[in-house]
Amino acid sequence: MIEQIVLALPMASVVIGAIVLMLLSKSKKFTLNKLNLLAVFFLSIPLIMQYFTLGNHAIPFLFPDVFGDSFILDDFSTIFDMMFTGGAILTLLVNNDYIKSRKYYSGEYFALILFSVFGMMMLSHAHELVSAFIALEIASLSVYTLAGYHKNNQVSSEAMMKYMVLGSMTGAFFMFGTALIYGAVGSTSLTQIALYTSSHTLDEMTLLIVGASFIMVTIMFKIGAVPFHSWVVDVYHGAPYPVTMFMASTFKIAIFAIALRLYLVNFAPINSFWTEILQVMTILTLLGGSWLAISQKLVKRMLAGSSIVHSGYLLIAISSIGLGSELAAPAIMFYLLAYFLSAVGSFGILSFIAVHSKKQMSYEDFKGFAERRPYMALMMSIFMLSLAGFPSTIGFLGKFYIFTAAIESGQILLAALGITTAFISVYYYFKLIAMMYFYPSQKSQKKFTVDISTALILVMALLVIWGGIGTSLIPFVPGADGFIDIAKQAVSSLK
Amino acid sequence: MTPDMFFLLSSVLFSIGLVGLVARKNLFVMYMSIELMLSSVNLLLATFSKVLGDASGSVIALLMIAVIAAEAALFLALIIHMYRSSRTLNSDHFDKLAEGK
Repeated sequence: MIEQIVLALPMASVVIGAIVLMLLSKSKKFTLNKLNLLAVFFLSIPLIMQYFTLGNHAIPFLFPDVFGDSFILDDFSTIFDMMFTGGAILTLLVNNDYIKSRKYYSGEYFALILFSVFGMMMLSHAHELVSAFIALEIASLSVYTLAGYHKNNQVSSEAMMKYMVLGSMTGAFFMFGTALIYGAVGSTSLTQIALYTSSHTLDEMTLLIVGASFIMVTIMFKIGAVPFHSWVVDVYHGAPYPVTMFMASTFKIAIFAIALRLYLVNFAPINSFWTEILQVMTILTLLGGSWLAISQKLVKRMLAGSSIVHSGYLLIAISSIGLGSELAAPAIMFYLLAYFLSAVGSFGILSFIAVHSKKQMSYEDFKGFAERRPYMALMMSIFMLSLAGFPSTIGFLGKFYIFTAAIESGQILLAALGITTAFISVYYYFKLIAMMYFYPSQKSQKKFTVDISTALILVMALLVIWGGIGTSLIPFVPGADGFIDIAKQAVSSLK
Repeated sequence: MTPDMFFLLSSVLFSIGLVGLVARKNLFVMYMSIELMLSSVNLLLATFSKVLGDASGSVIALLMIAVIAAEAALFLALIIHMYRSSRTLNSDHFDKLAEGK
């Protein structure tokens, strides 16, 4: 019993923290600073605990006599939990100045972030379709609210409206698919579904395939694959900077937690049905995302468009899973880590700069940025290089593994298209670097202030470089090879 | 009545919801269309529960009602807020994020 409670503590601490913060949010004694620190404290408990449980999971399910096999405990979910809590902590700490500089932030902001992290953690642990749906709704409803957090700004409310109408619609799709699968299998437990799919032929499972395709629509919508991408750029633009950072880095990863679990284990026998659909979608996502990213003037919208392209790279690997590539699943996890580091860093710098300006940052605003803030410009360049996949950064290795997996499974055309879009992406990423370095500055140079935001962005930049060229010479710190080994270990724990 | 009719009714309701969401402009009608889609899922679950002779389908339908209620709370708050800020619920009016603005 005690053992089970300890295992449940990471999730419990986040939800308890969320409720405590919600109660404290109206208190006059607690300033935003204190609430922020409290939120970080409640998030760092699971982060530290998950670090120590990584690799030694004795008990497969959480509270099996209460929940059955609804919540699974394995290395895969542990690593995703660490990314969610880490992403949320970084979002909170990097944006500390931003939150204080805007009047509309109140205590509930932290409670909402913690609730959505709880939903994401539940999603990565979910081993049952209905709990996955509830987890997805907890996370989504919090993120909808966060997207409309600047409530006196019509742009922000509009972003929330668009996100919520379309998101609820895909939620209904998820549940419709679940109901069909329940009708076919007689249970929504992933264990039962895996038994069913492995003991029937493709022709006997029409109902399950239809249901699983409905679920796929939801997943594709949430990651922003192209036929379902129309919300991404608008919502990222309308949401406040900290929320965009949270959505782009953390929420996107959460969807892949459930997608990978479904594709790798439960729906593995019917993957061959989807291969062509996924390939067409990948091509559309890569080209459509590139076009969207090229045509934007605001840096935030460009990053939103480029996040669609990154979903495209991940889709290449997902269709490689169906074609039997061993490297594809670890490649996805590595790429998620690489994208996470670079997205947190680049959005972090954007919101760091936006503290002192009221309008949205366009390319023009970055003219002469290198002269004003040389260190910030250097770090921004590192993140841009990593997002573009330049060698010696972690983004390069991520793309390298993805394309290796694609070639391994015989998808030469998709790999070639991926490399082409990587070259196209150089245009919109390097445009920003060119703006920063090739124009003189009107204003004088500002001093490099050392505070928590800049220090964390610096750590992110170093990690991006370390993930690209790091060796395992330093004990206890995984190098570039170490990360892919951890990813392989996590994926092997799934089966 | 055979369960087939219930499956048909459920699919028809889901489709009406989807078409309503795409075709109607009023935010409130869009919200009602989403509710219709979610309710059709409940009907489907209850029917399967009866066909399979398994209670868990009905339990899932009950859980679903709770989730739908949570979504309704947020949606109604959003609708009131949008109406207050712009005095209209026509979704064509909300185009500040469109290209080039």
